Amino acid sequence: MSTTIDRRRLLTGAALGAAGVVTGSAFGSFAPEDALANDAVSALEPGMPDPNFAEGLVRSIDDDVISALGSDGTLWRVRVTSGTSVWKLTPTTFDKVAVGDGLYARGARLDDGTLAADSVWANIVNLKAHVVSISDRKIHLDHNDERIVAHVMPGISAAVYNGTPAISDVSMVQVDSHVQVLGAWIPGTNEVEVSTIYAAA
Amino acid sequence: MLDTIASAQAPLLGAVLLWAAAVKLFTRRGRIRSQTTALSTLLGKDRAALGYRALGGIEALVGAALLLPPLWWPEAAAVVVMAVGFAGYLAYSRVAAPDSSCGCMSSKHVPISWRGFTRAGWLLAAGTLGAFATQYWTGAIADRPVVLAVLAAEAALFVALSPEFDGAWLIPLRRLRVRFTDPLGGDTGGVPLDATLTRLHREPLYRHVALMLRTDVQEYWDEDEYRFVVYGASLDGRSTTAVFAVPLRVDAVETLRVAVVDESTGETLLQLDHAPDEEPESAFAG
Repeated sequence: MSTTIDRRRLLTGAALGAAGVVTGSAFGSFAPEDALANDAVSALEPGMPDPNFAEGLVRSIDDDVISALGSDGTLWRVRVTSGTSVWKLTPTTFDKVAVGDGLYARGARLDDGTLAADSVWANIVNLKAHVVSISDRKIHLDHNDERIVAHVMPGISAAVYNGTPAISDVSMVQVDSHVQVLGAWIPGTNEVEVSTIYAAA
Repeated sequence: MLDTIASAQAPLLGAVLLWAAAVKLFTRRGRIRSQTTALSTLLGKDRAALGYRALGGIEALVGAALLLPPLWWPEAAAVVVMAVGFAGYLAYSRVAAPDSSCGCMSSKHVPISWRGFTRAGWLLAAGTLGAFATQYWTGAIADRPVVLAVLAAEAALFVALSPEFDGAWLIPLRRLRVRFTDPLGGDTGGVPLDATLTRLHREPLYRHVALMLRTDVQEYWDEDEYRFVVYGASLDGRSTTAVFAVPLRVDAVETLRVAVVDESTGETLLQLDHAPDEEPESAFAG
């Protein structure tokens, strides 16, 4: 806990300029052309799978390596470091990832085939669906004739109406309207927890 | 009494069948709709439209015969046969083409569910009852007007079982319930992370440094008037941390700031509060 506080204090101080300030000019340009020139961005053949992306269901977790079984049968090994961002409904920590979760990971492939992950998203889903009814903190959705229960999480769920910036008030979502839901699937169920819901109001 | 109710089934059955027939015969989308019903699996794509219209024709004939005199028992028998046929067709659709629409009563897409089967069951029951009619329906209603109440109840049941009519009563009812119970609660007053990120992504300063970022959001927290959002970044090949200080309030006087920190040494490598002016590049240069 204290390391978290120390880290935040360091980063807060850096951002607000309490530390000795070094300006960006010392590091040259950050123009896109230069950045891309320095980076090993490999040109992918159209239609080829991205070698730096992994997808699958988490089979096991050993220390910092996740084994995931992809939907095409690929067995992935994904290495997570302290610098990896982890998403599971919100930005969170690696210990929240559990066996059975659906996983997306992006990073760099190492020589042994392991994917060193920059970012990991657990159970993330993106649904376009129809609102059938709304009950106590639940939005019942019809998604291709299948029922899905979307849980509105107080303090976490946000709503975007007509493309304007997100607000925490989800109550303007209407019965019998079309919505898009970005959320976290609850494994083994037809339920999701809403991160952001896009609707017309 | 029961024979009066039996005699009074004809107008309701007739109206339902004529409605179904009108949808199949006269809606402009009928041909298109027939492609999404299980008929196209059963008969083939080319013959689905023809079969759909033919079924509409049969429904129209039986419906009209039920409404018009004289009383003739094969009319009710035809309804029973059709009800059994519908139930069989629904069961077939459910197995053979589960994604297809019922296509029974409207051109609206309606998945096949227990409501469709119950409705076919009602048609079967009403048709069977109608087979025991002893007089023409106008006479039965004139003799005992109280059967109108029974017919109204049956009509209500039919509407309740028909997803095609949900827009007229079920959806307004659900909206009304939402209005009075407010099940999702109101504004919690917090600023969602999504709102902060939307704002961040539109800032020139963010675009200036975005290509350094290697990860999604690692963590975020609020302090004073700022929300701090942390990303993993790469600067000159070093693995670093980028921290953005985003003003929480839209009308804040504070501006967006960013720092890039090497956490292994605690050294701040870069600190900016605005995007440096760069040479405006013309898209047509060169």
